[in-house]
Amino acid sequence: MYAAFAANAFQTRLAYRNQAWSSFFGQLIQVFARIAIWMAVYAGVASVDGITLADMITYAILATAVMGVWDHALLMRDLDVAIKTGDVAVFLLKPLHYPLYLFAAHCGNLAFNTLAVVLPVTLIIGVTYGIQPPASAMHGASFLGFWALSFAIYFLLAMTCGLLAFWLMTAHSLEWFLTGIMALFSGSILPLWFFPPALAAVAQYLPFAWVAYYPTAVYLGKLEPAETGLILAIGLGWAAVLAAGVGLLWSRARHRIVVQGG
Amino acid sequence: MSEIIVADGVTKRFRQPKRYSGLAGAIKGLISREFTEVRAVEDISFTIRAGEAVGYLGPNGAGKSTMIKMMTGILVPTGGALSVLGRTPHEERMVNAREIGVVFGQRSQLWWDLPVHDSFELHRRIYDVPEARYRENLAHLTRMLGMESYLDRAVRQLSLGQRMRAEMAMALLHDPRILFLDEPTIGLDVVAKDAVRKFLTEVNRERGVTIILTTHDLQDIEEICPRLIMVDDGKLLFDGELKRLRTALGARRRLKLDFATDPGPVSLTSARLVSDEGASKHFLIENEETSLVDVLAELGGGHGLKDVSLEEPDIEEVIRTFYQQRPALVPQ
Amino acid sequence: MLAALRVLPFLVQLHMRATMEYRGAMILGWIAMAFSYASVYTAIALIVLRFENIGGWVWSEMALLLSFHLLGYSLGAAFSFVQFRQLEDIVRLGTFDTLMVKPISPWAYLAFSGFNIGYAGHITLALPLMTWALTQADVGWNPTLVLYLVGALVSSALITAAIITSIGASALVWVRSRHLYSIYFGFWELARYPLNIFPGIIQAIMVTVMPLAFMSYVPAAVLLDKEVPLLGPAAAPLALAAGPIATILAMLYWRWCIRNYQGAGG
Ligand SMILES: Nc1ncnc2c1ncn2[C@@H]1O[C@H](COP(=O)(O)OP(=O)(O)O)[C@@H](O)[C@H]1O
Ligand SMILES: [Mg+2]
Repeated sequence: MYAAFAANAFQTRLAYRNQAWSSFFGQLIQVFARIAIWMAVYAGVASVDGITLADMITYAILATAVMGVWDHALLMRDLDVAIKTGDVAVFLLKPLHYPLYLFAAHCGNLAFNTLAVVLPVTLIIGVTYGIQPPASAMHGASFLGFWALSFAIYFLLAMTCGLLAFWLMTAHSLEWFLTGIMALFSGSILPLWFFPPALAAVAQYLPFAWVAYYPTAVYLGKLEPAETGLILAIGLGWAAVLAAGVGLLWSRARHRIVVQGG
Repeated sequence: MSEIIVADGVTKRFRQPKRYSGLAGAIKGLISREFTEVRAVEDISFTIRAGEAVGYLGPNGAGKSTMIKMMTGILVPTGGALSVLGRTPHEERMVNAREIGVVFGQRSQLWWDLPVHDSFELHRRIYDVPEARYRENLAHLTRMLGMESYLDRAVRQLSLGQRMRAEMAMALLHDPRILFLDEPTIGLDVVAKDAVRKFLTEVNRERGVTIILTTHDLQDIEEICPRLIMVDDGKLLFDGELKRLRTALGARRRLKLDFATDPGPVSLTSARLVSDEGASKHFLIENEETSLVDVLAELGGGHGLKDVSLEEPDIEEVIRTFYQQRPALVPQ
Repeated sequence: MLAALRVLPFLVQLHMRATMEYRGAMILGWIAMAFSYASVYTAIALIVLRFENIGGWVWSEMALLLSFHLLGYSLGAAFSFVQFRQLEDIVRLGTFDTLMVKPISPWAYLAFSGFNIGYAGHITLALPLMTWALTQADVGWNPTLVLYLVGALVSSALITAAIITSIGASALVWVRSRHLYSIYFGFWELARYPLNIFPGIIQAIMVTVMPLAFMSYVPAAVLLDKEVPLLGPAAAPLALAAGPIATILAMLYWRWCIRNYQGAGG
């Protein structure tokens, strides 16, 4: 059943062809921008802290094009609309778990974004500037695991904020907060290895780092193998905590809908 | 009286991108640039004189709203010529706007979060209505519509009926010469519909405002508009007095004869027998000229006739059969 | 003109009163947006500080560029963004039809009835940042330069409003236009960095079809007396002219879209 929701979301996205083209171009420009920045700052420098320009180009492609399509705004707006129109109450009547339903729908979105945005952008930029292969087959495989974890953590973070809107009544502000936090702490613009040590010490344990920084660092082979296992474990721990949080928030929210009629 | 709206062969076509079904179709849609053409209004001509009240009737999708939008300057006609108050609406939209009032049944022009008063005051400023005139109009309209109790309530707290009354009042604050209403009674309950109809009739008779309203509810037209324009599928079907519609459509009256006892078979030339229940017999009178006296004269005495009833055809039914048959003719 | 003075301030007043019904959400919004921008700027600052400069621009110069970008954007967007991003919904719900039957420009009505005080947070962040940057950076102040700063800001706001209006206006003819904002914001993000770090083709786009170089980079470069690629000495006057030119083009396009307006559909 949930697979059908995913397929449905995928098809809905297909129906808006102009939107697909625009997200593709928007994303392409953004990746170009990130790469231009790294090329500018690396002008005349071969490597900084053991990181080369080629590393940073690959980093920009993965963190911006691959993980950058996680669109929490889309999810939060879906949720916000459902709350404001009262549609969310309708879901309670159906034999399904609403957060799981949203997860399925956003897997559909993910599939669409991967095909329509991520792959073409990666291909174009990769051909233009060159993308590095994973540090090894092992690293490549771990990257896939981290990539899935990244999507899960992003989804849970967005869900948490979206559900908080039940009480704060302003999904809009929460969306901006999350955007801000992600911009800095996920490492999507600047990898944590370039952070000042004090900031990095904090940021490396926050769940946001698993959204863009760790998957890319793993791909590039910048983490020790032993460390990788530990980081994966912490990331899974965060996902579990967030999932529990979402479960709790949802049961409260559901209670609230049932008792107060939304 | 002068002609204030002249439509001459007005046509409006819309282009819509083609939709394809299924997954393959959706992918095709990503790159396709094909269009289908919708003929919303086809070659429609009529003239409306100052002071008239005209009902524009037709089922959903007949092109009523499209016609209103062209007359108010919102849409540019694809073909034909249109003149409202002597101007081409889309070319002099803003000048015309001062002299017309427009009410859309399904969309509000009031500010949702603010009291009705505020929307009225904004309207006064936009239309530059002199203060004294504004106060006079407001007082008059408030009384006519019984809006005293809710003028300072936020619009979102009003019932649909109250809101529609406020919408109509607002559209009249600047003394428009023509009032266009697109489905003003849609979604209203019986009481609210009645209030709207009474008000519009009064506005037309007493203030002399020309009224053009679209509806798919025939009762709106029976009560407000002596004249009816009927459209379907973008084309004009009928234009004339409602009373003439029956004649034009060849409508038949029903005659019922009740006898004390069954007189046996009765046949008449002026009326056709449709059902015979013995003591009561049903006839149809097809000729508009035939009167009851003619029928009774033909029948003669001695049958033990107890009661006679002659029924005008139900106009709703007439129109229903009319749309079902979709005749190509345009009676006038 | 007189009519505009009678109507437009009243529209803004009405809108403010309507928004005040939800003031808690609005204040939270200011904080959230300022936080979000500050967060991105921190990331950029960290890059610049780590690598000393970006395309020859040190942090205080980058701060000027960023604050110019934010200020010009928020001034222009206050009159346009939220209103015109919604235009496709306004069209779909038929609200635009109701504007078309009023004796007032639908553009003016939309711009002023939605005048967005939501940008207060942006401005609270941008002004101190700009002030700080101007004291740090090496600017050879003189009265003309002060006037130039003000003029360039106005121009920047006009460019923003013109592009946002044009994108929104496309909804009048093509029903959907919101998606085009993704492309605009792609270039908008480029405008946060010195133009010289981008490939020639992007530079060319940024000074022509998507003239966002003029909203932040060119004026900042002029103030800091830096050389502008492609344009050279013409850059300074062009930055002043770009806003009005964009505005005129946007007005023509808006008129064209109004004439070709297709209505709310069935
Ligand atoms: N903007 C539009 N684009 C495409 N088709 C339209 C548009 N507006 C109306 N139509 C089509 O034109 C026809 C007439 O519509 P309309 O005038 O709204 O009918 P009515 O008001 O009588 O219900 C319908 O088939 C409708 O789908
Ligand atoms: Mg209609």
